[in-house]
Amino acid sequence: MIKNPSHPKKSVRKVKQCKFTQAGLEYIDYKDVDTLQRFTNDQGKILPRRVTGTSAKHQRQLTRAIKRARFLALMPYVAENLR
Amino acid sequence: MSKNYYEFTYIVNPVLEDEQTKAAVDQVTKLFTDNGAEIEEVNEWGLRKFAYEIDKKNSGYYVNMYLEAPADAIPVVERFLRIEDSYMRYLTLKFDAKMMRHRELVKKNAVPNVFEVAEEETEG
Repeated sequence: MIKNPSHPKKSVRKVKQCKFTQAGLEYIDYKDVDTLQRFTNDQGKILPRRVTGTSAKHQRQLTRAIKRARFLALMPYVAENLR
Repeated sequence: MSKNYYEFTYIVNPVLEDEQTKAAVDQVTKLFTDNGAEIEEVNEWGLRKFAYEIDKKNSGYYVNMYLEAPADAIPVVERFLRIEDSYMRYLTLKFDAKMMRHRELVKKNAVPNVFEVAEEETEG
């Protein structure tokens, strides 16, 4: 039973891939708020790499871009409804 | 003197009248050119709502510009923006090779869309 690949307890883990690597993007722009917003949760927190599957290189760029956007008030530090 | 490529974004105080805003924007542009910078592009995003309150204000007039400037010009302009009350924030970015390549893509309007490739959301 345990060798059966379709067994519900042996769920196949979905392989996550870095969206930025797939798109072949070299630099993440802080002005591109719509994209950045998808890497934050509803509180405005940056999602961890283990959730989004972003590569380490791009995650570093992403955090920098998000923090720049926050500084210019393009993105919230903390969501409106939580303040 | 060698020049670097910069991106400069700043926010003009929204309490200013239209003419004053225009003057404020011109003043920054002039200050850059006076210090030997070549302005490549100025994008006025206009009045935009803030994601959070800054100095009890909820919106600001955004101006985004690309320019080639000697390194000495930047602190002069930044100092001016800090002293003047009509500017709320600024952000200077010096472009490296990677960002320059990205900039070329932007000019050609060929920036790859991150979510076009795989629209499928990975579950959290």
